[in-house]
Amino acid sequence: MINVALLGNPNVGKTTLYNLLTGSNQYVGNWPGVTVDKKEGFLFENIKIVDLPGIYAMDTFSNEEKVSKRFLEEGNVDLILNIVDASNLNRNLYLTTQLKQFNKPIILALNMIDVCENKGIVIDYNKLSKELDVEVIPIIAGKNIGVDKVKERLKEGNFTKPLNHRKFDFSSEKEAYSFIENVLKSCMTKKENMQESITERLDKFVLHPVLAYPIFLLLMALMFQLTFSWVGQPISDLLDDLLNNNIIPTAHQLLSNSSAWFSSLIVDGIISGVGGIIVLLPIILVLFICITILEDSGYMARVAFMMDKLMRKMGLSGKAFIPMIIGFGCTVPAIMTARTLESEKDRKLTALLVPFMSCNARLPVYTVFAAVFFDTHRGLVVSSLYLLGVFVAFLLGILFKNTYFKKDEEPFIIEIPEYKMPKISSIYKQTLDKASGFLQKAATIIFAMSVVVWFLSNFNLHGMVNQVDDSILASIGNVLAPIFKPLGFGNWQSAVSLLSGLLAKESVLASMQVIFAGDLSVILPIHFTNISAYAFLVFILLYTPCISTIGTMQKEYGSKLTLFSIFFQLVVAWIASFLVFNLGGFLYNLVYLFLKTNSLFF
Amino acid sequence: MSICSLNPGEKGIISSIKGDSKLVKRLFALGCIEGTEVELRRTAPLGDPIIINFRGFDLAIRKKDAKNILLKKL
Repeated sequence: MINVALLGNPNVGKTTLYNLLTGSNQYVGNWPGVTVDKKEGFLFENIKIVDLPGIYAMDTFSNEEKVSKRFLEEGNVDLILNIVDASNLNRNLYLTTQLKQFNKPIILALNMIDVCENKGIVIDYNKLSKELDVEVIPIIAGKNIGVDKVKERLKEGNFTKPLNHRKFDFSSEKEAYSFIENVLKSCMTKKENMQESITERLDKFVLHPVLAYPIFLLLMALMFQLTFSWVGQPISDLLDDLLNNNIIPTAHQLLSNSSAWFSSLIVDGIISGVGGIIVLLPIILVLFICITILEDSGYMARVAFMMDKLMRKMGLSGKAFIPMIIGFGCTVPAIMTARTLESEKDRKLTALLVPFMSCNARLPVYTVFAAVFFDTHRGLVVSSLYLLGVFVAFLLGILFKNTYFKKDEEPFIIEIPEYKMPKISSIYKQTLDKASGFLQKAATIIFAMSVVVWFLSNFNLHGMVNQVDDSILASIGNVLAPIFKPLGFGNWQSAVSLLSGLLAKESVLASMQVIFAGDLSVILPIHFTNISAYAFLVFILLYTPCISTIGTMQKEYGSKLTLFSIFFQLVVAWIASFLVFNLGGFLYNLVYLFLKTNSLFF
Repeated sequence: MSICSLNPGEKGIISSIKGDSKLVKRLFALGCIEGTEVELRRTAPLGDPIIINFRGFDLAIRKKDAKNILLKKL
């Protein structure tokens, strides 16, 4: 077995090369203790390639660098495959000089030599190889040129140890860079070309002081249209239709001979529960494809740049803006996207705040309640909830910035890469990874939760029940109801609906329909006043997100942060809802009295 | 004078970098070191951060950090 460590700066085509080398034969995991992807793949069965995170150096204290350093020291590495951007060797070779210090054989994959040629750069590969005492292979990973040479070379084996007659332990960055400059002087020539690059021309519009934000809003609108109107939602609706009108009735029929409880478990529990989540997959995937395109093209780095000033007010960097936006669609991919943020603090704070962005699943509850209670002001009520979510996130961001996350202020610097045409193969690969991760979760945690909820809503201590009112769930609802009494909705039905909302926010409405069993527009006003209805909606907006989100958070950030998040959101929701119900009630009475007295006199 | 006092499109030579040690280390590793030529590319639409260019690539940095990148008088 040959162990190969793949290293390079961010944005130099490392992932593309890795995918070309390992094909579908790869595994994604986590490095112990940190939210950094650990990717391993195989070439020809006996060559293991470990894709280390993209880094600029080995010694500036980031998690990614620590992970890479430890792996090079302890991971039995036979060869370092160092991919560099040939059109920017000056900075890329700094990492190479640091890799040299590990005294391992190095193959330098000079990527993007086509970009190089366009820029008028000519490199003497042999000379570079001699100067750095490494093997050099020129490639164009994006066009799959030269990658076969890398494969052959890896297969050949017999990697020569460095000669050791040149020391690479420089006393300072300055010394390292002057060494690199000297090397490049001897083996690289560059024609000065004054032509404006495509990137410069595009940035004139994309980062234009006036046009920048309209362009951004347009792109976001397009993304949400694709997801929720044109592609994602229609497919999702189709699946939903298939599930409810074909799969479930068929399953009922097939199971008609088995006992009632078994049929109910399979159909009402597992198929409805897991199916209801899988139905969301098209939405999540379309959203992801859009984001991957924006990310791969180099636009996301510019969004981070544009939004940094705004986001900094709540203690986050500009990059955190993207997960927040995605949160309006679905919290799960939003939390997954937070992974791309540089600092641990940003990742955690973003994951804590993203659930306050009102996700798509909460919308049905708002619409139904708004129609029943606020008929003429429907739009106003629904948009006020979205705004309230943003406002609460902002407020809590400021609070966290000054308390919990105070000590860890990371400096914000990001490379603004050149624009690139996104590669279909890369988008396909990343989307496939996301889909399989999502399905895995559906098959495990959501499956388990569905069974639990089904059990609770169909049984009590004496056995199976016919009425949900007699179930354990109703008993739990009765226990929980007093908690919600100060918020204006202390009935067990609301408590149970909220509890079922933990499974998926859509199920709040579904549960209410089951429990109240009748026309909601007639029944709801019996249990809610206008103000308690709004307080209920505020609670829906802010309280603990669905089990999919909790599962994702657990996977990405561990139990401690997840438990904190669950508890913290409950508290925030309770307080906000309490304020709305009590202050709102007070104000309502005041206004009512005012109007009444007015009408008395005039 | 610092890099912030340049106008977009203007260049200068770095004389020293002060400030947060983590940030200085990162900038050094990227080759943002004494003697390097640096250009102020553009300012964000909201006025902060800025994009600077050195060694052939663009880097976004906040003004409060960029203030610490001092330039030689030309």
